[in-house]
Amino acid sequence: MNNFLNIQSLSAKVEDKLIINNLNLNVDKGEVHAIMGPNGSGKSTLSNVLAGKDGYEITSGIINFCGEDLMSLKPNERSNRGIFLAFQYPVEIPGVTNINFIKTALDSNRKHRGLDPLKPGDFLKLIKEKSKILGIPEDRLKRQLNVGFSGGEKKRNEALQLLMLDPSLAILDETDSGLDVDAFKIVADSINSRRNNDSSMLIITHYQRLLERIEPDFVHVFINGSIIESGGPELASEIESNGYERFTDVK
Amino acid sequence: MDMRDSLMLSNLTLDNFDKSFKGSNSLVEERKNAFLNLKKIGIPNKRIENWKYMDLAKITKGIEFKPRGINFELLNKNLKGIVVRDFEYFIENKDQYSKLTKYLDNEGVVYLNLSYAQEASVIEIKESQSEPLLINISCNEDGVSFPRIKIDVFPNIEAEVHLFYDGGKGFINQLTEINIQKNSNLRVQRVNKSSAIHSETFLSYLGLNSNISLVNLSMPKNKSRFQVYNIFLDQHSCTDFKSVSIPYEDCQDDFLIQNLHMSSNCESNVGLRAILNKGTVCSFQALVDIDLNTSSSKAIQDCKAILLHEDASMNAKPEMKIFNDDVVCKHGTTIGCLDKEQLFYLQSRGLSPVSAEKILLQGVIKNYISEDSSLNNFLPKVYQ
Repeated sequence: MNNFLNIQSLSAKVEDKLIINNLNLNVDKGEVHAIMGPNGSGKSTLSNVLAGKDGYEITSGIINFCGEDLMSLKPNERSNRGIFLAFQYPVEIPGVTNINFIKTALDSNRKHRGLDPLKPGDFLKLIKEKSKILGIPEDRLKRQLNVGFSGGEKKRNEALQLLMLDPSLAILDETDSGLDVDAFKIVADSINSRRNNDSSMLIITHYQRLLERIEPDFVHVFINGSIIESGGPELASEIESNGYERFTDVK
Repeated sequence: MDMRDSLMLSNLTLDNFDKSFKGSNSLVEERKNAFLNLKKIGIPNKRIENWKYMDLAKITKGIEFKPRGINFELLNKNLKGIVVRDFEYFIENKDQYSKLTKYLDNEGVVYLNLSYAQEASVIEIKESQSEPLLINISCNEDGVSFPRIKIDVFPNIEAEVHLFYDGGKGFINQLTEINIQKNSNLRVQRVNKSSAIHSETFLSYLGLNSNISLVNLSMPKNKSRFQVYNIFLDQHSCTDFKSVSIPYEDCQDDFLIQNLHMSSNCESNVGLRAILNKGTVCSFQALVDIDLNTSSSKAIQDCKAILLHEDASMNAKPEMKIFNDDVVCKHGTTIGCLDKEQLFYLQSRGLSPVSAEKILLQGVIKNYISEDSSLNNFLPKVYQ
């Protein structure tokens, strides 16, 4: 057991349907874990449970994050402690400017860490720098949050928030979907570039192509709400070639 | 209708009607005709309107019929190209007094005003203005008032008018007429923080290639009814009316906005954003009426209300009467609580539940009131 993210015997239901079933997972500092599984296996539910979304009933188990009981924390408290969920389907929020929102979120995270809000000039410099890495034009920062963004633009915007907030645990829920070939490379490489010994990633994906650019330390096969096999990157290659037939048969 | 039901008129009859007014030449014939129509039609009540608006006849019942003055103030003085006149204008131009009944022949509140109005502000805008005209309307005495504003925008003019209603007691029944002549563009900001029962009938006449846009911040501290009639008299004219409604607790805010497309190639846009707290009621009825002989019309109606309390209610009734095939019309209404997915998204980035709610409500308002608008100064701090 480590002191970073430790999930033990976790089960969760939605409207009486068991989605997460006796899940065990350890993620240590600096590690990258990939979770792969067929549609409907509960991968997104796991990311939502970790981020603290309402509507899930935890029937058993514990989730420990940096020594704290994660389930006792509200979503904003989890974020302020360093958990970041890159959404599979980011919502549109009319009337809220993208740049103002990111500034508010960053200030909130910094406040929790005992830091002053970034000065406007420093913030602008930082967000322009990160936007440039992701190929996000400056005018998109002034637009309403995700409103009218294409699927790919939304995913880039999630990646921008990830780079700006610099969390200790990033959960990427199918961040690669909806991106064109060029955007995929830019987003994947920018996420990979922030890899270090202090931050970890939990990558939920269907495709090996993302894991070729962000090479995971561990790959887990997630079926019917639990991990049924874990391995290294070679497991992702096997799934890419043969699908989930072997694992579903085992289950 | 038996007028004895609408109490505030119960002590007035045609016999002593002309004695109610000062001066010998106070448009007595026009008033008598208006009063006869008022007797026939009555003050709006739920039975007459068959809809959700406040029952004006009922809620004004306890108010003593004591006509009183109202503070009309044009805050910026000596503007070039502006002529301000008072009630004498209508005495000199009697044909203008009841002109609006040509289009509104079945409105009790209009006839009520025409029967009793004693003061008016007539503003002629003869030159384009670089700064907005600031008009403040308030009263602090008990009783009833019948103010009237007429703004005449001459051809080829760019101008902006800010109307601010504050304070007040009793019942204010206001008429506002805007005449926009050809090739002119008028922007209007309206702030309603009246604590009186406030009924305003707002009528605009649009000439060739003219525009009127209105951003209305309505935060009534009592019951408020804002009814708008835009009359497209000539082609290529355009209206854009956006309202943000944040009534105080237990208060009511009603909107009735009619765009009467009587000419071709005209465009109307109506929208409401309402944030409703405990005990508040908001009604929104928008009508697009496109005449048989008009073509290439465009019209949009859009309503979004956020209910912040189980004891808040929103009534929305978009209507379209379209008698010509060559039109593009859209309408949409959304009523509900704050979106849980949006709240979660914001909280997942570190915003507290209170901050997330605040930022979403600010977003609803910012849809219509931009960050650089002076209307922000009138918003409660929580929404700024």
